Amino acid sequence: MRTSPLAAIFYLGRIFEAIAKNAVQSLAPLVAYLIATEGSIATRIGFGLAAFFSIILLSSVVRYWFFRYRITSDSVLIREGVFRKTQLDIKFDRIQAINTEQNIIYRYFGLVTVKFDTAGSTKQEGSLPAVRSELADSLKERIRRARPATAMTDESEPGDEAPVRTILTLTHKDMVRIGLSSNRALFFLVLLGPLIDQLESRIDELIEGGALNLFTGGVEVTLLSGTIIAIAALLAFLLLLMVVSILGAFLRYFGFELIADNDVLRSSGGLLTRHEHSINLAKIQTLEARQNPLLLLFNRYRMRAKQASSSKAGRKKSFVIPLCTDAQLPVLDKEIFGAEYPEVDMRPRSDVFRPVSSRYVRSRLLYMAVLPTVIMLGPLLILMGSAALGLLLWIPVCTLCVWTMYKKYGYFPGNNGLVLRRGLIGFRTDAFLYRKVQRIGITQTPLQKRKALATMRFYMASGTLKLPYVDDQFARQLRDYVLYKVESSNLAWH
Amino acid sequence: MFENAEIQPEELPAVDAVTWQDMDAKFLRRQLTESGIGFFFTVIGISSLHTILNVAFADANMDIRLGWLWLIPLFLGPLLFAWPVASVRRKGYAIRERDIIYKSGIFWQTVTAIPFNRIQHVEKSSTPLDRRFQLASLQIYTAGGSGGDLKIHGLPAKTAEKLRQFVLEKIGASVEQA
Repeated sequence: MRTSPLAAIFYLGRIFEAIAKNAVQSLAPLVAYLIATEGSIATRIGFGLAAFFSIILLSSVVRYWFFRYRITSDSVLIREGVFRKTQLDIKFDRIQAINTEQNIIYRYFGLVTVKFDTAGSTKQEGSLPAVRSELADSLKERIRRARPATAMTDESEPGDEAPVRTILTLTHKDMVRIGLSSNRALFFLVLLGPLIDQLESRIDELIEGGALNLFTGGVEVTLLSGTIIAIAALLAFLLLLMVVSILGAFLRYFGFELIADNDVLRSSGGLLTRHEHSINLAKIQTLEARQNPLLLLFNRYRMRAKQASSSKAGRKKSFVIPLCTDAQLPVLDKEIFGAEYPEVDMRPRSDVFRPVSSRYVRSRLLYMAVLPTVIMLGPLLILMGSAALGLLLWIPVCTLCVWTMYKKYGYFPGNNGLVLRRGLIGFRTDAFLYRKVQRIGITQTPLQKRKALATMRFYMASGTLKLPYVDDQFARQLRDYVLYKVESSNLAWH
Repeated sequence: MFENAEIQPEELPAVDAVTWQDMDAKFLRRQLTESGIGFFFTVIGISSLHTILNVAFADANMDIRLGWLWLIPLFLGPLLFAWPVASVRRKGYAIRERDIIYKSGIFWQTVTAIPFNRIQHVEKSSTPLDRRFQLASLQIYTAGGSGGDLKIHGLPAKTAEKLRQFVLEKIGASVEQA
């Protein structure tokens, strides 16, 4: 079957994306053409652009023409490619999630782009551009039924379908919060901090010393005002970036809705292009709630449900809940873990968390502060003289960091799952079910051994989680228990 | 009928209760041989550097002092030979009905357990030096990238093959069970 001709728009987007990604290589021919040919600049550019766009347009149409798909009883077959043909066979029970995107034009025609999320690498993932939204819905329904865990347990009988509920919506204010607290915006704010200080001192200087010279037109003044203009420009630029970040949040998450539909969690949102993501609860490996300094200020969290994935590609594939309040967090985590892990509590300030051993501070200080300083101090004293004593400042800084980290480390073992808390500037809590653990390790240094402490590592399909400096007796018991849970579980972990 | 009897922590099969399989004596010899080869090439490297520089600058009125270079093998030597002795002694593995356990590490002493029903695939490999000593390594892959892999070095080739077969059978069995 062929998709709607509007799929060409999708390829147009793809091609532009590819061009943007390696701008230099793809625009080189254009530049070469401009240099090589003769004639007035305007006609050359005009002709070049016309050729450029027609080539892109043509190739998108051609790609659309060669794209075929077929939906069989157990898989989606995709055949595409003009010169290099590829055939993709995506089995329904291998699909982790189906995500859809709908831009304005598609919305008008009732079309969506369907993207399949499989456990494999991102490159091998298929997508169906511009298919009817009914087809997308039926595919989603199919995947829900193909869920392996349901097939194995008789827990969910056809009769006990819970109604579809909206469990979270985001307001316009939330969009601003998301935009401001995105890591990009944060980065710029950090840059901004010292600059504001500098600007203030510059203004002071200007008022105190420079004000008189301002009218006499001294060299210093032009220099001073030059710096101020530069800083103001930079500020304006940073402000612009923040605005862009907020706009980005609006574009991506406008009208965000989180819907619980039995075993599936669905999110939809987006101003121009509507993104709809869905994740099968059974496929979630770990649930992460993060609070960076700005989110701390807003008292909000960002959540991420992680699926099985290899390496960094996984970040893209996780299911994101961009913002939730302190009150919503326990509702959401309970919704996601369901009846299997009802006691889960991911609020970092919850009193359920147990601290790790205070020995953590001592050993970290030894390895990170004292030892490096002692080793470096001798040579540096010879090289730099007494200035090297500044190195000693590292010890209090490090102590502060280690102490904060120690205070923020916490764990809350439940009957079926574990919540881990950590952080330095913000907070991060991760929750997972014991039966999803792939491999478990306990490490002890001789020093830890003497103090009956151990560090645990839980290797999940979505990454590794560490629990440092706990009682070694506890660690061993927890390990045996986790192994028992994994080995006695008949549920599929993925 | 679904059963869910309460489990007391003491009743759980304890990983610590297993009898560890020590690494083969040949593995120590192999590791020492590797150290020996490394040591040999360090010494050769330093002596040839000496010779080359002395020949090259024989005419020039230059005094090249490279004696301190010999400190490297002097300190490296004992370490190179003591390390395998200590580390091989610390390594061990155990196979239970439902998982495989591996311990290693001199300073960071780690015990890792992988349940069979989480193993994705198994790989047996051997370097030329391994083959000289009839040894092989077994690498066990779980889902989720590099963090999930476990490599058991220096198993006797026959044991490695048997283990591989055994683990494969176990994976197959757990799949059928599921």
